[in-house]
Amino acid sequence: MTEQIKTDFDKIVKTSAFSEKDVEQKKIYLNKFLKTGFPTRKLENWKFSDLSQIIKKSIGELSFYNDYSFSNKVDTSIFVEGLEHNKIVFINGRVEKVDFTHEDHDKIEINSDFKFVNRLEHNNSLLSLNNAFSNKCYKITIKKNYSLKKPLVVYHSTNNKIKSKNINLKLEFQLEQNSSLRLIDLFNDGAENNFINIFYNFDLKENAILKNYKIDKLQNKNIRYSYNNIEQDNNSVSETFVLSSGSNFSKNEINCNLKGEYSSAFVNGIFSLNEGQHHEIRTIINHLVENTKSYQLIKSVLGENSKSAYQGKIFVDSKAQKTDGYQLSKAILLDETSEFNAKPELEIYADDVKCSHGSASGSLDENSIFYLMSRGLSYKQSKELLINGFLLDVVEKITDTEIKNLVKNMIGLKE
Amino acid sequence: MDKREKDIEKLKDYKYGFSTDIENIRAPKGLNEDVIKFISNIKKEPKWMLDFRLKAFERFKQLKEPNWQKPKYPKIDYQDLYYYSAPKSMNDKPKSLDELDPKLLETYKKLGIPLQEQARLNGIAVDAVFDSVSVATTFKDELTKQGIIFCSMSEAIQKHPDLVKKYLGTVIPTTDHFFATLNSAVFTDGSFVYIPEGIKCPMELSTYFRINASETGQFERTLIIADKGSYVSYLEGCTAPMRDENQLHAANVELIALDDAEIKYSTVQNWYPGDENGKGGIYNFVTKRGLCKGKNSKISWTQVETGSAITWKYPSCILKGDNSIGEFYSIAITNNHQKADTGTKMIHLGKNTKSKIVSKGISAGFSDMTYRGLVDINSKAKNSSNYTQCDSLLMGNKCGAHTVPYIKNKNLDSNIAHEATTSKISEEQLHYCQQRGLNPEEAVGLIVNGFCKEVLQQLPMEFAVEAQKLVGISLEGSVG
Amino acid sequence: MLKINNLSVNIEDKSILKDFSLNINPGEVHAIMGPNGSGKSTLSNILSGKKGYEISGEVLFENNNLFELETEERAHKGIFLAFQYPLEIPGVNTNIFLKTSLNAIRKAKGEKELDAIEFLKLVKEKARELKFDEEKLNRQLNVGFSGGEKKKNEILQMSMLSPKLSILDETDSGLDIDALKVVSDGVNTLRGKDNSFLIITHYQRLLDYIKPDFVHVLMNGKIIKSGGPELALELEKKGYENFN
Repeated sequence: MTEQIKTDFDKIVKTSAFSEKDVEQKKIYLNKFLKTGFPTRKLENWKFSDLSQIIKKSIGELSFYNDYSFSNKVDTSIFVEGLEHNKIVFINGRVEKVDFTHEDHDKIEINSDFKFVNRLEHNNSLLSLNNAFSNKCYKITIKKNYSLKKPLVVYHSTNNKIKSKNINLKLEFQLEQNSSLRLIDLFNDGAENNFINIFYNFDLKENAILKNYKIDKLQNKNIRYSYNNIEQDNNSVSETFVLSSGSNFSKNEINCNLKGEYSSAFVNGIFSLNEGQHHEIRTIINHLVENTKSYQLIKSVLGENSKSAYQGKIFVDSKAQKTDGYQLSKAILLDETSEFNAKPELEIYADDVKCSHGSASGSLDENSIFYLMSRGLSYKQSKELLINGFLLDVVEKITDTEIKNLVKNMIGLKE
Repeated sequence: MDKREKDIEKLKDYKYGFSTDIENIRAPKGLNEDVIKFISNIKKEPKWMLDFRLKAFERFKQLKEPNWQKPKYPKIDYQDLYYYSAPKSMNDKPKSLDELDPKLLETYKKLGIPLQEQARLNGIAVDAVFDSVSVATTFKDELTKQGIIFCSMSEAIQKHPDLVKKYLGTVIPTTDHFFATLNSAVFTDGSFVYIPEGIKCPMELSTYFRINASETGQFERTLIIADKGSYVSYLEGCTAPMRDENQLHAANVELIALDDAEIKYSTVQNWYPGDENGKGGIYNFVTKRGLCKGKNSKISWTQVETGSAITWKYPSCILKGDNSIGEFYSIAITNNHQKADTGTKMIHLGKNTKSKIVSKGISAGFSDMTYRGLVDINSKAKNSSNYTQCDSLLMGNKCGAHTVPYIKNKNLDSNIAHEATTSKISEEQLHYCQQRGLNPEEAVGLIVNGFCKEVLQQLPMEFAVEAQKLVGISLEGSVG
Repeated sequence: MLKINNLSVNIEDKSILKDFSLNINPGEVHAIMGPNGSGKSTLSNILSGKKGYEISGEVLFENNNLFELETEERAHKGIFLAFQYPLEIPGVNTNIFLKTSLNAIRKAKGEKELDAIEFLKLVKEKARELKFDEEKLNRQLNVGFSGGEKKKNEILQMSMLSPKLSILDETDSGLDIDALKVVSDGVNTLRGKDNSFLIITHYQRLLDYIKPDFVHVLMNGKIIKSGGPELALELEKKGYENFN
């Protein structure tokens, strides 16, 4: 890999318009990545998912070179219908469209040449990789007291021009005081066998509200890694919903720093997996000051040969009295070949806190199936109905009605 | 009271902190083949035993000391330790208790463990281990009548080599992790128990461990075999003198339960925890593993961990036999600068296997406590289930409580349920108890004992009383 | 027995009791009545030694400065508080709690501690007197008890500990008529020339069963009127709002 990556890096430097300083910086990140390479199961965070092996097995040799000098045609058929929205369109990792037509333009600032400040010094080699290879980083600032009228949909599209590529992209969002943003990430892949590496950073000032919905629904053969870092000031709220279902492999990491009093974070997730898929969600909620709250609900439905993992950590600093932290993960295994792994973790240094976690896994309740069948449903219908009910309460946690209905339609959940 | 007086008062709390001035025979300092040969030689071991040790040592040389645990500790210089220390008077093995060095008898009397059989302790048979050797085993004759073997490991190697050969290292192989392998190479003594087919052991068996010598590691090895349809309840207690240095205790305990057999293993661990500033104390790095080998077998671990500077152990069950049951009940208390990283592993391999985990962690002062556990249900372990309950209680905001359960389910017929909570003793509860005349420490003791009740109930009567007192004592000075 | 002189209490700059004075002699039953938020419960908390208040003034109990005594020392000297909301203590057996408490107080008084048999005899006798379900004595303290059972348990504890001064903090709230009778019987049995009571209540109802010697009306942290039992009836008729 090392030779390939170095050659690809030099090629990118030649074909891009990076400043000398940028290149220096990128080189440092490249070397940092090369030191450790892709994470393996030896790292505690990757215990349940050995990314290095997964890439080797399903992609083989990766290419790190992407030519960003040509623009791709935007296929408008991918756009969500029946929902007015703003758009950012990534195609094969290149930003092709930024469209905030529904908003007051002086309330939103878009900086297309933002230097992603590396506040995430977690020895995360994928971040180093991202910093070394990502092309442009957009920073979107929502001004004080402004709520976006319509949701922003980020389309992550790939087409068949690429294969066995590593694609890196990142976005930075700043939500100033009293502002709010609804953000939907939609994954739409025409390409196969790529490793897609996404970093988002959110900075929430006082009273800001962020709702981020990540929808990975369409079956695809890609490997995806996505990292959200969320910084939260007083009274801010973040809500993250993950539908983890489409990619071959996917890992969503959500790191949330509750550093302002009365800030709160909600993470809800669904794994709906099949046919050898392997997905993971890992959350770290850091309660750093008094009176903060977090709530997490993760549910899995696992079919043949699939595997899901949930690692959830609640950290409570000794200053963070009156923390309220809750975490629940539940899994239904549909098949003898499926596997559920969990590591719900509490790390607590303050004594006046309310923290709990629960985890349960097992098969569909045969008695319930029997009950439904005795009322005339077929075995298949009964099963579907029960799974539907099992997942519905996660979707019900979505606080935005418009988006809740959209998600329900997308995954075919009935009420 | 001035500070010094207070300190002296505190030190009195660890009433086992005295040391016995007794002449010792020691192996030369350091860890090498010669020392292992010295140990094997002084114990007049057969060649197969020495080979077992040397094989483990070969493996040990390739292993790295693990470092993933939460409590970190300064590097241990394994060459700067004594691996064998025995009272000189034990050199020519005394034939009976009457021949035992009176100083040793006195030590155990001070510890509340009378070895003379006339001072029988509620019908509990005791094997007393002093530093590296077993000094006395009581009630031997009565047990022998039923075919029960209860003796020191050294004696078992001499007298029951077939049993030892057949089972030693079958649950914790010589190729296991760092500390377990070290133990396999240098273990000195410990207890051996064999309960024959169909026998319910008529009394509690107990080993009492005592570290006396300084700069000495204690590496005992315990092997308990419950043959088909048998039952045994086994208790261990531990104390050590107060010393400024940290002392290493790396024991191995192997349990094997055959068809329909049950082993109940209870520990009340009260090694010296170090002083209030965290100086000294025992490093309690112990490997305990039980194999439910036969169908319908059951292994139950109960532990009350109040001592040691660092406790790092995961008494585990491998549920191999169909319908076998594994249980783990734990109370771990850390105060001052103590640290604990403890829990269990339940490995479900057989069909219809069940496991239950109840862990109660209490941290006070500047201490740090981690529950770490693994529940692994294999794809062949059809219709298996686990229930885990981990509760933590924090006293003050200078301490930490962590819960790290690993859950792996590869079987759709199986159910795993896990619950965890972290809370504190409320001001209101304290006020209520105080209004009824209890002082704050009594009140905390009462509330904490209530918090731990589910686990205390698992202990045999005599130990339960002792453990309840210990729970109170361990938390002294943690309120106010 | 109890002398409260010019007691003022604040929590975080909020004034709860202002210049409050009260004198209780041995054998007397005093009732303090007042609307919600008048400072009634604060008074019982202060007397029992709950922390978190800024206090000025003086409280003497049998000539001891109460503020120099810890909560449990006050209990040892004979102050008992029947809590408005008795606490649940999971895992702690009610009998064991009672025995621990009784012996702590006996020990402090220099009396012989009771052994298990003596204790059980006593507690069974008291439970029977108070129609307290004996089976509950073997349950966890107040865990899963109904509101009425919790209050009865308080009275059982009171009669076990035979305090000199019993403070009943809204013990009547949430009680049905049968339970109310049991509670008042318990109090009346304990009444004597050396035992005093401070009954804190919102309603006159309890005072039909426990006849007070004195009634005080507490409003906004101050006693606005004192009198005999007839004052309670007057208060009931007029209501707190019109009383001023």
